[in-house]
Amino acid sequence: MHRRLLQGLHPSEGARVSASDLGELRVVIAGIGGQGVIFATRLLTYAAIRLGLQAIAAESHGMSQRGGSVVSHLKVGGIQSPLIRRGTADVVLGLDRNEALRSLVYLKAGGAAFINSDDGLSSEVERQLKRRGTHAHWLPASQTAIDLGSVTVANVVLIGFASAHPSFPFPQESLQETLRVDTPRGQDLNLQALDRGREIALGELARASGG
Amino acid sequence: MAVKILLGNEAIGLGLVEQGCRVATAYPGTPSSEILAGVIKHKGLLEREVHTEWSTNEKVAYEVALAASWTGLRAAVAMKQVGLNVASDPLFSSAYTGVKGGFIVIPADDPGPQSSQTEQDSRLMALNAKVPVFDPSSPEEARSMVQAAFALSEEFSIPTMLRPTTRVCHSLQGIAVDDALPTDGPPTKARFKKDPVHWTATPKLRYRLHIELNEKLRQIEARFAASELNYILHGDSSSKVGLIASGVAFETARQALAELGVRIPILKIGTPYPLPRRLVSQFIRGLDMVVVLEEPDACIELQLPEQIGVYGRRDGFVPGAGELSPEVVSAVLAEALGAAGFDVSPPTDDPALQTTIDALDLPIRPPRLCPGCSHRSAFFALKREFGPRAIYPGDIGCYTLGTNLRAVDTFVDMGAAVSMADGLYQAGRLVGESRPIIASIGDSTFIHSGIVPLINAVHTGARFVLIILDNHTTAMTGFQPTAEASALADGAPAARAASIPDLVRACGVDFVEVTDPYSQETFRQIVRNAYEHTQSPGGGVAVVIADRPCVLYDPVSIQEHPIPVVVTEECDGCRFCTEAFECPALVLRSDSSRVDIDERTCVDCGQCIDACYKGFILPKVLA
Repeated sequence: MHRRLLQGLHPSEGARVSASDLGELRVVIAGIGGQGVIFATRLLTYAAIRLGLQAIAAESHGMSQRGGSVVSHLKVGGIQSPLIRRGTADVVLGLDRNEALRSLVYLKAGGAAFINSDDGLSSEVERQLKRRGTHAHWLPASQTAIDLGSVTVANVVLIGFASAHPSFPFPQESLQETLRVDTPRGQDLNLQALDRGREIALGELARASGG
Repeated sequence: MAVKILLGNEAIGLGLVEQGCRVATAYPGTPSSEILAGVIKHKGLLEREVHTEWSTNEKVAYEVALAASWTGLRAAVAMKQVGLNVASDPLFSSAYTGVKGGFIVIPADDPGPQSSQTEQDSRLMALNAKVPVFDPSSPEEARSMVQAAFALSEEFSIPTMLRPTTRVCHSLQGIAVDDALPTDGPPTKARFKKDPVHWTATPKLRYRLHIELNEKLRQIEARFAASELNYILHGDSSSKVGLIASGVAFETARQALAELGVRIPILKIGTPYPLPRRLVSQFIRGLDMVVVLEEPDACIELQLPEQIGVYGRRDGFVPGAGELSPEVVSAVLAEALGAAGFDVSPPTDDPALQTTIDALDLPIRPPRLCPGCSHRSAFFALKREFGPRAIYPGDIGCYTLGTNLRAVDTFVDMGAAVSMADGLYQAGRLVGESRPIIASIGDSTFIHSGIVPLINAVHTGARFVLIILDNHTTAMTGFQPTAEASALADGAPAARAASIPDLVRACGVDFVEVTDPYSQETFRQIVRNAYEHTQSPGGGVAVVIADRPCVLYDPVSIQEHPIPVVVTEECDGCRFCTEAFECPALVLRSDSSRVDIDERTCVDCGQCIDACYKGFILPKVLA
């Protein structure tokens, strides 16, 4: 489990991060106050620390929580400074399409974005991302969450969706373990949401490789 | 060895409990609010008896904790940086009188600012008050500095300051904690001993205390020069460029240098005041150029004995305002290293991507009152009643966001709604102008700092309407109980709950009404009567208490009586509701043709029915 996370942490080719940052993963999580950005951040931070890795996450509190833009930064391994510089994040998780777009500048060349959107991103943005060797994946996480019973688990749906991709190397088992042990409230629905998100991604990946 | 995953604030709370703090007080304020919560959590986990309280304001909090220290117990007080302004009176005085049990004042600074009215630097307050400061770079270091701060406080009988910033307070980190509790024997027996030389020092004695204080600081500076909290990283580097860094900027600088692929000496300062000047001089002496990185202002830089070749916030080499983000630090370091002949290419963003995203013209998301917030109902009714000509002094809390509804025209600091209304009335009276003055303040803020200006306004004969938005909690900072609550900070029953109507009447206000702003017609009628009272021959200040629990804190009444609404087919997208009522659940279509209810965020409060004067928003049952 541990090894798998570390394996995925090597910066990909073309990244600006130097060799001294091996074994480091940087995630920017963007959304709107009330969408559970902090919960998503904590889920990933706990999962990383459960794997014996060092992690630090900078959260947004206070006024921005009242429906404003909320951005968290999570760093696994490396120097434990709390903030991520633009152009160096391995992953952007977007709980809101527009906030995700705004945060794409954090993504390094070759990074990956996972975005909650009902209708994709803009084609011009997709073109720019492609030029940088960056992959943006989207799914209607809010609608998926509503179908499961509550819009509040859209954040976990998105994490489940991302976790099926090699660029987001959080093992499913440690995410599940974290949901069960560290955030037991509402765990049944959260675990369902995690599985559902992952299923959707695996389905897409299977179709892509089949075609 | 166990690992605890804690926010910086919780780590400070853990540190306080571990180190035998017996009295911990605070007034909530971002980014400090989880410090007391961390004490409460860990006093339970570690089974320690600690008196914890959300005091009515920071001055009260400071003095309650100080008194405990004067009996010999360890005590601490936490607040946000502007809260230290409120507590500055006892801060300055107690630096002279000194303390007995270890005493730590913990103001959380907010570079940015993210959630504050200023970027003031509490370390400069400490410098002015002559109180030594510990400046942590991480949650882990914040916890460990508690020990050093208590020990220094007891050794020198002096208040000490532990000064975290937002990125320490609100960073989550895994912290290795020993299972065994430390046993350095914090005082457990306490007794107040009369000590007129310190506790009731008169001005002549205060002069002597000032001399003593200066001597303490001289010794503390020498102590800090040898402290392991100040150290040189990469001391073996032959670089002639060096850094002095404290707080989060130290970690950010390490990261930036790693990304630039450069190794230069960094003097990490954990104790910025009194600055260990000998240590700093030695460091600077071997270098041609030194950059000082600190937040939010210049405290180390201000104390530096030699300025040649030293650059920082004061000369503008480092921006004089704002957070030292990785982008800012990288740019500053790239410039310094380039000037010194290093071959570094400064990291750049992808301008093409940024341009593309800018061109999308994404809607900006300012903070807004929540769907179902009773403040919105109150502000909407006030605007309909008094219109744009009235002046609306506001205050600090969620309801500051009333400015989005143009129902808040001023905010200065805690309690200023009342005194600003008073002053606006007095100024208007002098020039014969009589615009309605409709002030608003929250329940916790009223108890914090609104009562004293209300006594003043009544006494001087000011005439205005004061709306006390009583949502039964301190909502913006995370639902801390106010003095009106029946329970204390740790859940123990309150001895007696304060009554805002009684307090208002006791200030001499004749017109006091309590009403639910959800009943908008009644609420409008009452504020109309209140305004008439301010205009009547014997009238004065009129107070209306808009009484409705915060919808997040207590959603029960809405859940029990939901009023789902629909926007009818006739909606023409006139934007009146989206601008004047400004509920996040009312969404204008991108082609502006009409408004829809966002079912994902709507809480079924039904309050927007009044927000469409054309009658196009209806209860679902009628539609």
